[in-house]
Amino acid sequence: MNEELLSVGIDMGTSTTQLVLSKLYIQNLGSAFSVPRLVITDKEVVYRSDICFTPMLADNRIDVGQIQTFVQEQYRKAGIRKEEIQTGAVIITGETARKENANEVLLSLSGFAGDFVVATAGPDLESIIAAKGAGAHTYSKEHSTSIVNIDIGGGTSNLALFSSGELLDTGCLDIGGRLIKVDQVTREITYIAPKIKQLIARRGIQLALGQRVTPTELEPIIQEMVKLLEESVGLRPPGDFYDIIVTNKGLKLDRTIPCISFSGGVADYIYQEAADDVFKFGDIGILLGRAIATSSLTQQMMVARAAETIRATVVGAGSHTTEISGSTITYTEESFPIKNIPILKLSWADESGSDEVLARAISDKLNWFKLNNDLQKVAIALEGKKSPSFLEVQKYAHGLHKGMAELLEKEYPLIVIVHHDIAKVLGQTLYALLGYKKDVVCIDSVQVDNGDYIDIGKPIAGGKVLPVVIKTLVFN
Amino acid sequence: MEEKDLKSMIESILMEMVGNKPEEAAEPARTEAPVQQAVVVAEPVLAELVQTTQPAEEETDSDECLDDITEVDLRKLLLVPDPADREGYMKMKEKTPARLGVWRAGPRYKTFTSLRFRADHAAAQDAVFSYVSEEFVKEMNLVAVETMCRDKDEYITRPDLGRQFSTDTIEYIKKHTTNQAKVQMMVGDGLSSAAIEANLRDIVPAIAQGLKMYGIEVGNILFVKHCRVPSMDMVGEATEADVVCLLVGERPGLVTAESMSAYIAYKPTVGMPEARRTVISNIHSGGTPAVEAGAHIAELIKTMIERQASGIDLKL
Repeated sequence: MNEELLSVGIDMGTSTTQLVLSKLYIQNLGSAFSVPRLVITDKEVVYRSDICFTPMLADNRIDVGQIQTFVQEQYRKAGIRKEEIQTGAVIITGETARKENANEVLLSLSGFAGDFVVATAGPDLESIIAAKGAGAHTYSKEHSTSIVNIDIGGGTSNLALFSSGELLDTGCLDIGGRLIKVDQVTREITYIAPKIKQLIARRGIQLALGQRVTPTELEPIIQEMVKLLEESVGLRPPGDFYDIIVTNKGLKLDRTIPCISFSGGVADYIYQEAADDVFKFGDIGILLGRAIATSSLTQQMMVARAAETIRATVVGAGSHTTEISGSTITYTEESFPIKNIPILKLSWADESGSDEVLARAISDKLNWFKLNNDLQKVAIALEGKKSPSFLEVQKYAHGLHKGMAELLEKEYPLIVIVHHDIAKVLGQTLYALLGYKKDVVCIDSVQVDNGDYIDIGKPIAGGKVLPVVIKTLVFN
Repeated sequence: MEEKDLKSMIESILMEMVGNKPEEAAEPARTEAPVQQAVVVAEPVLAELVQTTQPAEEETDSDECLDDITEVDLRKLLLVPDPADREGYMKMKEKTPARLGVWRAGPRYKTFTSLRFRADHAAAQDAVFSYVSEEFVKEMNLVAVETMCRDKDEYITRPDLGRQFSTDTIEYIKKHTTNQAKVQMMVGDGLSSAAIEANLRDIVPAIAQGLKMYGIEVGNILFVKHCRVPSMDMVGEATEADVVCLLVGERPGLVTAESMSAYIAYKPTVGMPEARRTVISNIHSGGTPAVEAGAHIAELIKTMIERQASGIDLKL
């Protein structure tokens, strides 16, 4: 049995907005003699949109109308209807995520783009998605090595560190190609981002708005930016400006990283030399790329060619956000998709005690999710046990049932996400405890953490699995 | 494995390692030196084994126990000294139960590998030749019957008898089961009694709970001694159940001796094509967990009743 999912990815970045359509292929890899095991076997980008500048209104708000027109236009060019889109993600990245109406635009656009197209934001997620789009996780797996991908866009540089296919850490720096804008004709500086202004002042570099510049005059500040990037991957000890340039957090740097890859718009000028005008985009992107190409980032580390550069984030959003649940699961609820459900992940201490301990931990922690004393929908996540006894499953079910009493009063469905392969039996046990009257969604083989949100789509592959997107929603 | 057997096995292997013949082990005075030598060259695991063995040689009634070498997780044990890429090797080992990275002593296996291989082989043989205990059958509240085989030897050599019941047994089955039930559950020792004792406590309540959700009752469950899979066909004809589900011990291998299968068929009849059976195999703690398999089997039984088909006729 083969099944295809049509997925859309939309990236609204600091400088550009783009869209891709991908096909995800799903196959049952379980033998005829075992329980089914459905997995995504292949991902293929089938359509790449034009790249347009992210449209802004005069009051520095995002122009949602123009983005919708862009999406419609691209769907038409690709020859697909909105109804055919089965899954996907809209991600809002870099400086665009900090605009006043970012949240609103994101939510309205995800609905506009398709039924189960989810809204995502947050620097950590952005780093992961870009690195996956660039193929860094695949590279680290195939070469059994560690690799850091730096996605250098207009406003931010997003770092993600992978080791043998596993994500280890993420980081984000306010370094990008459009943090200084230079008029293409007059060569006057038209914009300097606040943090870069601060850096210029601290280093005593002669640069100011309105000044006419040559590449040589920009060299000192670009070298400072490159130095910060070198600090971010541990090639030099963090200097006095490192903490300031970090957006939310940097990498932990407790190990040497052998390999590096670059994505984002600037990456094109790291991997290849641009012959024509260095100011053709009206910014310092090309100069920054050139400077990185001759820095210790490429001299001291093994450079892996990214599968995607400027499109890494959008390809990541289209191809690498949707996962599928385990193949033996329980759901009685029919009203999919379920969107934007926050995750409450229990600690190991919570679940390794008795059912009473589990129940108390859940009802205590549910208080975190109360807005004005009103409880929202929450999905409970736990590790579970590998090959538990039937009694242990009962213990989990009783603990969950008691602990989630408050959610039940609200007529919310019980949503349980367990890591180990026990969701079918756990879901059936819960359903029995509820007297087959309340709805249960119990899925496994999905890893989530506190601070994540989950979106669950309509069942696919004959109802065996549910597509899920694990995401964050963080606006600065 | 008996402690004594293991001890003598270790002794004989140690003898082989240092080039002496096993018979010489009978004379303690002559073996002492070679054993000491072996300790010097051995791996830490082996050294531990030998050290615990030595006192036992002097006081034969010691209560001391050897460490159970079958407790060692082979996927986490790499015997290759100074591998160029330990991490890569371990990744590879994670993906297969095959005994990779066992290294060698001259052209042969190392002692630990050799002992572990024999221990796993012994466990497999035990699983075949032992019986599911009567207490266990009673504890699980199973209705005990047996096929035409008189003993294990006949069971191994005469597969045809392992599929048949005597007329008396058929009558007994009819008397202790519900006629024309939606589902008839049965358990068979098959080629691994160990698999039954390891999984049944968890899988039976999981199946029963799942079936209850679909409004299907599990009646009395049969236990068949000396059971071959097609014995379920005779049970199907005797009980006239819609679906017969047989939980049976799989032929053990060196990875696990506790793997169980579920053979499920819609209205099975004697002599029907094998393709009409649906099978869920590899149910053990390292494969599909018993509880999760039980929940899946319950749904499968419900689907078979709805679609009135099983095996390759049932398109899932």
